[in-house]
Amino acid sequence: MLGTYFYHEIIRKTIIGFGTLFNDIFIKHTKSDGSILDEIKVGLSYGPMQKFLTKIQEQADLTKATAITLPRMSFEMTTIQYDTTRKVGVTQTFKASDGTNLKKVYMPVPYNIGFELNIFSKLNDDALQIIEQILPFFQPSFNLTVDLVSSIGEKRDVPIILDSIDFQDDYEGSFETRRALIYTLRFTAKTYLFGPIADSTDGLIRKVQVDVSSGTNTSTARREMRYTATPKALTDQNNDDVINSADDALLGPDDDFGFNEDWNYLANSKDYSPTRQTDI
Amino acid sequence: MALNPFFLQGTRNEQFLVQDIINEQLKIYGIEVIYLPRKIFKTDDIIREIQSSKFDDSFALEAYLNNYDGYAPDSDIMTKFGLRLKNEISLTISRERFEEFIVPFLEGISSGIRDGLITDYDFADLISRPKEGDLIYFPLGERLFEIKRVESEKPFYQLGSNYVYELSCELFEYENELIDTSIEELDNTVKDEGYITNLVLVSTATTATATATIATGAISEIFLNDDGSGYTSTPTVTITPAPVGGTNASAVAITTSVGNVKSIRRLEITNAGAGYTIAPTISFSGGGGSGAAATCSIGGTLSSLQTVSITGSGVGYASAPTVNIIGSVGSGVTATVVAGITSTTVSSVRILKPGIGYTEAPTVEFSNFPTVGVGTFKYNEEVVGQTSGTTARVREFKTVISATPGVLPITSMRVSLNTGKFYVGETIVGSSSSASYTIKSYEDDSYENPYDVNEEIETEADNILDFTESNPFGEY
Repeated sequence: MLGTYFYHEIIRKTIIGFGTLFNDIFIKHTKSDGSILDEIKVGLSYGPMQKFLTKIQEQADLTKATAITLPRMSFEMTTIQYDTTRKVGVTQTFKASDGTNLKKVYMPVPYNIGFELNIFSKLNDDALQIIEQILPFFQPSFNLTVDLVSSIGEKRDVPIILDSIDFQDDYEGSFETRRALIYTLRFTAKTYLFGPIADSTDGLIRKVQVDVSSGTNTSTARREMRYTATPKALTDQNNDDVINSADDALLGPDDDFGFNEDWNYLANSKDYSPTRQTDI
Repeated sequence: MALNPFFLQGTRNEQFLVQDIINEQLKIYGIEVIYLPRKIFKTDDIIREIQSSKFDDSFALEAYLNNYDGYAPDSDIMTKFGLRLKNEISLTISRERFEEFIVPFLEGISSGIRDGLITDYDFADLISRPKEGDLIYFPLGERLFEIKRVESEKPFYQLGSNYVYELSCELFEYENELIDTSIEELDNTVKDEGYITNLVLVSTATTATATATIATGAISEIFLNDDGSGYTSTPTVTITPAPVGGTNASAVAITTSVGNVKSIRRLEITNAGAGYTIAPTISFSGGGGSGAAATCSIGGTLSSLQTVSITGSGVGYASAPTVNIIGSVGSGVTATVVAGITSTTVSSVRILKPGIGYTEAPTVEFSNFPTVGVGTFKYNEEVVGQTSGTTARVREFKTVISATPGVLPITSMRVSLNTGKFYVGETIVGSSSSASYTIKSYEDDSYENPYDVNEEIETEADNILDFTESNPFGEY
């Protein structure tokens, strides 16, 4: 029943959008005289990973000299949940263009995607430096504009909401165990999932025609005046150095356009038949 | 006296004997490890942590490896931060050997700090025993361990004394600590760790070359009578065409901004034209500004410099070279030209004043020959960018010579940044080696660190994110 294949990579894009917020964070270490000793870009990665890939990438020669290089940040998607507060009628559609064709798009379905950003540092000061560079931007949300469905250029604001901040500092206990300093920031990304996108059967509206009558009895009133509007090209569509009606016919759904308007007084007491598309 | 005075619980000589036997056994059955005491750059007394340190002294010492049957199982674990190793070793070292061999050196450092002779770093006054936080290099496994705990009472007071320290060690968590012991094998363990950026340096510079042509009826000088104002972009310069049979002149405008007013600084001629019988008119269009006006003079029957064409872009220019036009002009006016560079090569040569009176095409000579890279940067030395002021520590410096004839060798250097970013074209100088090279290209993404995918995330995000203004967190 559901079998129409489509994959807009929306969740993947949301993951990328979330990750890019934190991929340029630096920390600095100073000497006691205040001079800067070093500056470190904090490494960021999506946490879940194939185990064998981790092993062959990070311990290629099997004898790694150190336990881990810190500080590091990782993020991962933790939940996917329907958001009832943003629910809209799912049978509603809107039109969008992929540049050449008009598409019929069903209203997207609102989903909240939960994320966790973990910060692992050796020093408390490192973690505080990182945290302080992140928190002021979330009040408690930060809006990302993501091109969720690139084929139709559907850009949506995806608020990333900072839900909670926890940290774990295992400094107590035996000296045989190491202190672990991990901050965990939980976020919710309010994204939208789009269903299949089909070519619109409606086509482009290229002409609007309104017949006007002066009587009040609509069953007997005959039209006396006709207003028609058609799109008017604003640019030279066929590159013949002239903007004329030939260009009007070439207008596409994404083009900017004006209007050719026409009023006609008609005294032949006929009416327009939409089925025959002529006056009868 | 509580104990029986007719029995001894260990004399000094017996204790010495036991200590000697232990020392001998450790030398026979032990392994050689390297002890690295921690030197402290900064301690935060409020949140109570040592925030930066270095390890640049090393002491080879014999130690007995207690976990002779290997590390504990499952020492490598998968975490949300990638691979984390938890290998542990337990070492037994001689108390006497530590006190007689290592302590005097540590005492020297400690007294140097007390006397104010060493101000660069601090050092814990506790020098009489191996300290938690110091490092042990384990050569067999090529691993760097940090001492977690020192046990000094095991075995427990045999013959009334203790003879060994038992060191519980776990793999070191690295965070840009300076490790510079001059033991290459040891220093190399962290050579590739941490945030490292890559510089490609100019190792062999070549001088740019260009040729010039002359023509009669060419523009001999442009006079910028009014520099205009309000230009938001570079305006287009239009010069009226030459008569039939001539060559049209062309020029570009260079804008400048003074006191928030952007105006035209000068006109640079790309072709002085030929065959003009009257001085052409010069007009400006576009750029969003107005008011600019310029006139010119022509050479008439006397020749002026018409064009300058780059025949060789050269490589290694830290700044734009001066260009000399060498040729006789008699009582005329010598031409002046200006060069522009991109990524240490000459990318443009334009005419400021075509001059007048040339009888044959002058030669073009680029002066300010670029400084060829000299010297060899040392591991861990500080290098300084002469323009940006950026400092960094050298991790690796190498030159790769191509097997293909005619291909220049590539000299590159990996550094861990102290502060800032380097500029392409600036010269970097080593603080102790005095080596000096010009930067050809620079990438500030982390070099070859398999965990960091900051750049990959940014690349993908560029296609799908719409930061209409800018990413407040910074672009990668």
